[in-house]
Amino acid sequence: MSKTQKITLTETELLRALKARESVAAEALYDMYSSSLYGIIFRIVQHDEIAEDLLQEVFVKIWNSFPSFDAEKGRLFTWMANIARNLSIDKLRSKDFRNNSKNQDIENTVNFIDEQRNTAINPDTLGIKELVSQLKPEQKSILDLVYFRGYTHVEVADELGLPLGTVKTRLRMAITTLRKFFN
Amino acid sequence: MEEIKAYIESGILELYAAGDLSPAERQEVEEMAARYPAVREELTAIEEAFEKYAAAQALTPAGHVRSRVLAGLTSHDAVRSAEPEKGAAIVAMPRPGVPLFYKYAFAASVALLAFSWSALFVTYNRLQDSKQAIVAMQASEQKFTSNARYMQKQLDHANQSLRVLHSPDYLIVTLAATPNAPKGAQMKVAFNPKAKEVMIDLNDMDMPANDTRHQYQLWALVDGKPVDLGVFDKSADSIGMLKMKEIARAQTFAVTLEPKGGSVNPTMDRLMVAGNI
Repeated sequence: MSKTQKITLTETELLRALKARESVAAEALYDMYSSSLYGIIFRIVQHDEIAEDLLQEVFVKIWNSFPSFDAEKGRLFTWMANIARNLSIDKLRSKDFRNNSKNQDIENTVNFIDEQRNTAINPDTLGIKELVSQLKPEQKSILDLVYFRGYTHVEVADELGLPLGTVKTRLRMAITTLRKFFN
Repeated sequence: MEEIKAYIESGILELYAAGDLSPAERQEVEEMAARYPAVREELTAIEEAFEKYAAAQALTPAGHVRSRVLAGLTSHDAVRSAEPEKGAAIVAMPRPGVPLFYKYAFAASVALLAFSWSALFVTYNRLQDSKQAIVAMQASEQKFTSNARYMQKQLDHANQSLRVLHSPDYLIVTLAATPNAPKGAQMKVAFNPKAKEVMIDLNDMDMPANDTRHQYQLWALVDGKPVDLGVFDKSADSIGMLKMKEIARAQTFAVTLEPKGGSVNPTMDRLMVAGNI
């Protein structure tokens, strides 16, 4: 959709360029991950402008804290997604955000957003409906609450009235389903 | 190995990948992953699954966000590199003398105003002079024009006189004073029998000016009978040749002073000048 050529690097190349603080790294980082990160951010704050501001904040933090990233400990995306999730949750819990936003029933949120934003879903990824159909509803809701809504598994257990162990098990089953699906 | 399997099965790795662990728990997972390749392998697989799930549910931000974000990153670097070097002296800039500036500005304004007024005054006077000069020039131009017109008219008459006087077809008859007329009174009549033309020369005429109630009348005596040839006036500015009524032959021309418009028969006691051909 964009006129500019999207830049894609291998993860090794990207890590090297990020370390050298090359401007191509910033572009590649944005082109490769902005949509995934924006998906997380938007699902948490549910507001275009706030999500865009947050996306910028997230990239600044990624760019500046990159020296503290350790590739030995985990994948780059996991680290970036955590930054996105944490900043979004901080925003969500901040006083000015709570004053400005309407409350919404947590369980319906994810489906509600996906219905509303259906057209904006990344067209490069295939079979999103198929993917969702593979997940049992109770798995998907826990997965989304934890991953996309920034709930801790303790909060999810409280919210859904489930034992902690059940929450963890369902989350693991959801991931296992995903792994099978993607492979 | 059972321990490892139980550890993996506990779901803690998923929580780690979802960022849902305390710092202490995180460190524990990282140590386990570093120590046991099976844990590392499992963790990587979970992370990849999350990553793909996020990609599958990705939302593309609005197009303008990209440049904004990238500008934010590069300007961030620019700000860092632009930080002032340590030891660079910070010197207070001298405060500009604001009151003094206004004093000078005010003085300059007053001077400018005075200059403007005097310049305006001088310009106004010059404008008045120019207007007067234009009026004077228009008057003299009118004078020249009427002069030229007058001279043109004189020239035309002079040419006409010349043509008549030099033509061999014209007989020039000089009419001399009678006792009724002042001494020295005379006038000339040009007569062309061929063309039956009779002309009098108003330039070359010594006659007293007639009043408004009287006019001179020219007569031709043909075989002893007077024939009316028309009336004319004599005034100070009478010029040129005046064409009178036509006649084929005559022996004598005579001029009497008659009431305005002329008479049928000449008033003989008012005979002024006469001349024979």
